[in-house]
Amino acid sequence: MRIVNSIIKFTVLAVIILILAVLGYALFGDRDITKTSPLVGKEAPSFTIKLYDGKRISSEELKGKTVLLNFWASWCIPCRQEAPALDEAWEKYKDRDVVFLGVNVWDDNENAMSYMEKFGGQYPNGIDPEEEIQVNFGIGGVPETYFIDKTGKIRDKYNGPLTGEIIDYYLDRAMKPGEEETS
Amino acid sequence: MTLTSTKKYTGITTLALTVLFLFSAAAIAAEKSLDDRVNEIAYLLMCPVCQGQSVAESNSNLANDMRQIIRKQLEEGKTNQEVIDYFVSSYGDSILASPPKKGINWLLWVMPGVAVVLGAVGIALFLHKSKRSEDEVEFIPAAPGEESESEYLKKVDEELKKYE
Repeated sequence: MRIVNSIIKFTVLAVIILILAVLGYALFGDRDITKTSPLVGKEAPSFTIKLYDGKRISSEELKGKTVLLNFWASWCIPCRQEAPALDEAWEKYKDRDVVFLGVNVWDDNENAMSYMEKFGGQYPNGIDPEEEIQVNFGIGGVPETYFIDKTGKIRDKYNGPLTGEIIDYYLDRAMKPGEEETS
Repeated sequence: MTLTSTKKYTGITTLALTVLFLFSAAAIAAEKSLDDRVNEIAYLLMCPVCQGQSVAESNSNLANDMRQIIRKQLEEGKTNQEVIDYFVSSYGDSILASPPKKGINWLLWVMPGVAVVLGAVGIALFLHKSKRSEDEVEFIPAAPGEESESEYLKKVDEELKKYE
């Protein structure tokens, strides 16, 4: 009888562990955690940005160039932290067929202008008048940055404040043709 | 103006007002239906910047943008599923309020039911076993030389009486 009881206890424990393992796998096991966005590896959504200097720039015009697309807001503290690194990187890459494009979201123009005066943003910056680009690109907060290669495909997405090293790393990957994306 | 023509004008006015009312009611109903569809979809999507709130419940800027986009896409004639697919393509399956019923996710839907059934079976087995144990309990008389519990208690009573 004691042996039967032990077998029953063992079976119940094994079933509980199995259920937990299966649920754990279902919740976390089937996810590609290396991808920061389902858009990585796909064609970038098309967009038209109204720049603060009055011009407009569209994704079509940027084909053939590597693009760093940075989403920011004036109230965002990490955006202030990354602003100097972005300006420095822009100086470094502007003559290498790389376009830096800042997209201001969830903000007002006055605050955005004042932010750019204080913290930088020498490269083109603007807004999407339709206020759709942030959702088309699956933005969950700011700062978030997409690295788009010359074919218009998204190579990487980075969530959080950038540094010079991070920008170099991802731009290097985006500028290399035909490399498989991993992030 | 004769009484007949007055009646005629009153009739036309009533008819016109009725038609106007019906058109207004239809327009309001159509608007409501769009609102309902926006809400229906918004409840199926989680706000990516909120803690456990759906797009319908959140007041964040992003949720507001998302509701606007849902409305715009519905106005363009997209179906509910097409709108949802658009958000999944941008944010992934994690945007969905409930996991999609595909692949390994089926387990998330099936397992709670399986767990309840297994729990019920476990309880039934336990109760059955307990009942059988009760039935199996037999009266075992005290072995010769051993005192039964009642005799022992009698002795205790006698001892206690001595001190009263």
